[in-house]
Amino acid sequence: MIEIENFTKVYKLSKKQRLELKTRNHIRKAVDGVSLLIPKGEIFGLLGPNGAGKTTTLRCISTLLKPTQGSIRVCGHDTIKHPEKVRKKIGFLTNEIRMDPDFSAKYMFEFFGHLHGLNDEVIGERRKKLFSYFEIEEFQNKKIEQLSTGMKQKISIAVSLVHDPEVIIFDEPTNGLDIVTARSVTNYLQLLKEEGKLVLISTHIMSEAERLCDRVAIIVNGKKVIDGSLEYIMDTTGTRNLEDAFFNLYLQYTERGKV
Amino acid sequence: MNGTKYVIQKELDRVFKDKKLVFSLFLLPAVLMIGIYLLMGKLINIMVTDVQEHVPTIYVQNMPDGFNSYVEQLNFPGSVIYFYGENVLTRTDEGEKIISTEEIKENIRSGRIDLLVVFEEDFLNQVENYEEGSIIPEIRTYYNPAEDYSEEARNKFMELVINKYKTYLLAKRIGDLNQIMVFDVDRDPAASYVMDETRANAKTLSMMLPYLVIMLLFTGPMNLGIDAITGEKERGTLASMLITPMQRGQLVLGKLLALSILSCLSAVVYSVSIIVGLPDVQKVSAVGNGTVRIEPVQMVWLFIVMVVLVYLYVTIVGLIAVLSKSSKEAGSYISPVYIIVILSGIMTMFAGDFTVDIGMFGIPVYGSAIAIQKITTNELTLAQFGVNVISTVCISAILTIFIIKAFNSEKVMFNV
Ligand SMILES: Nc1ncnc2c1ncn2[C@@H]1O[C@H](COP(=O)(O)OP(=O)(O)O)[C@@H](O)[C@H]1O
Ligand SMILES: [Mg+2]
Repeated sequence: MIEIENFTKVYKLSKKQRLELKTRNHIRKAVDGVSLLIPKGEIFGLLGPNGAGKTTTLRCISTLLKPTQGSIRVCGHDTIKHPEKVRKKIGFLTNEIRMDPDFSAKYMFEFFGHLHGLNDEVIGERRKKLFSYFEIEEFQNKKIEQLSTGMKQKISIAVSLVHDPEVIIFDEPTNGLDIVTARSVTNYLQLLKEEGKLVLISTHIMSEAERLCDRVAIIVNGKKVIDGSLEYIMDTTGTRNLEDAFFNLYLQYTERGKV
Repeated sequence: MNGTKYVIQKELDRVFKDKKLVFSLFLLPAVLMIGIYLLMGKLINIMVTDVQEHVPTIYVQNMPDGFNSYVEQLNFPGSVIYFYGENVLTRTDEGEKIISTEEIKENIRSGRIDLLVVFEEDFLNQVENYEEGSIIPEIRTYYNPAEDYSEEARNKFMELVINKYKTYLLAKRIGDLNQIMVFDVDRDPAASYVMDETRANAKTLSMMLPYLVIMLLFTGPMNLGIDAITGEKERGTLASMLITPMQRGQLVLGKLLALSILSCLSAVVYSVSIIVGLPDVQKVSAVGNGTVRIEPVQMVWLFIVMVVLVYLYVTIVGLIAVLSKSSKEAGSYISPVYIIVILSGIMTMFAGDFTVDIGMFGIPVYGSAIAIQKITTNELTLAQFGVNVISTVCISAILTIFIIKAFNSEKVMFNV
């Protein structure tokens, strides 16, 4: 279970960033007072347009960044007080984190297995399972730099799951993948859910979220607009699909912003 | 500590599983170094033999009677042209030509003639008719110290001809030269070398070695450290390790120790190539063949001082690397540090023999340089050794703590 309470993340902007963003503010509130409860055994989608604060939220849950305000607990462990315990529980994938291109997929898998404290036998079993599912076996001894983007992404996914984590956090997992590969990834997420794991993904593709997620939260400009099951959201907005629901809410929110 | 082990292993694998990297990191520098030194040695040799084998052209004005046959009997290697008065007939490429002494001097200036020797007029008469208190005659030489040929010609002519001629004339005047010699100094010059071979060689070695060690040990961390830390940060591969349960301290230690191991290896490669390549250094630093005997205890100390220094370098580079946003930025911060390191090494070469205050051994880098200098002459005391090692270790430890702090900072690691 992930418990997020009144979570706010503020970035300090450097002079360069202020120029790029054309703002005079010295800070930017990337996430603003978000509270969420994410249960296990479900796929939870964090939805929002670019810059909404999805990646920031996932990075804070994964202990890479610290919340400016509020608290986040993963499986009961506070992300600030016990980051190592949290990291033991999670598998995190985001496109800012890359596999070392100088090594082979097999090497990286074993390396991260060791860092998670697994023995060679367990690592071997996990590798067989994940590499055959994602069809990496054939390329497992090639240097990662020689492989295609899709293959690299699949290797990143496999490596992030080496320790069979209870909580899987994937930031835009199908971004840049062809439909076949994308489908194999989303199918695997469903498998993980069936195993009773907590799966948290972010996406801006509403159709994907609708097909995949049991529950979603929509955030716009760092604020949570709504969260709940798909039916609840469509009922509340009186729409028949998630995309319409999203636009409905988005317009409401921005109208309110204008007033 | 397990995490540390795997990080070290991976860093070493990165280098040793990549033949190209091994080549460019270890082999190429060695080959280049040896090549450059061999070439330098060859060129210097060619220059020296060339100067020595050059047949000098020497003009002698107003030569005393019999001087030419005296020179001939000495077998002086050079073409000596004698003349009286202001002008002389010479043979040039364009045929025979009369030139004046002024023109001879002009030719010395431009390097075409090596030496002009001018005897005072009536030289022999003045020598023979010397009475107590009267003025003695003079020989003047004109040469060009900026020209190797000219300088060598004058030195040889003075040593092999003029000095002998002086003794010869003196013997003619006095008869038994021993009357004025009073005593001899060193009839057998070679027998009077009582220098301690160790000290004499060590002097040269102790001048060069600290500088080379101080400088070369830095190249490893400099070349490897930026890529291993700033490079990984830029590429996003460092973050992949930050989401594992491994503590940041273990990751930092693994990186720093791996860098230290690789740096020590590249230091060995550099040292070996210097010994092989540089003939002069080869002579003085051939520790094995007995010219320099660094005592075993001092050898062990040298090793410890060097290892500790490598770790200090690694932490300095590491801290700069982790704080930099890009490899380029890191490079621009490292350069001035490298210059300071080189200066610390150079300073020992000119420091001379003065006694060093013990506190100086505590100065980072420079302290290690003078410690190494003292070791080469077997003069490092336990106290000096202790001060250097403890101070270097403490500073490295403090820097390591700063690096770990930086690894824990989201601002440093993710530029937020
Ligand atoms: N390192 C950073 N420094 C300053 N501002 C940032 C930084 N990273 C993200 N932001 C800002 O925070 C907001 C949220 O970004 P992000 O979480 O990446 O959004 P999303 O993943 O939903 O597209 C954006 O406005 C972005 O410009
Ligand atoms: Mg994002």
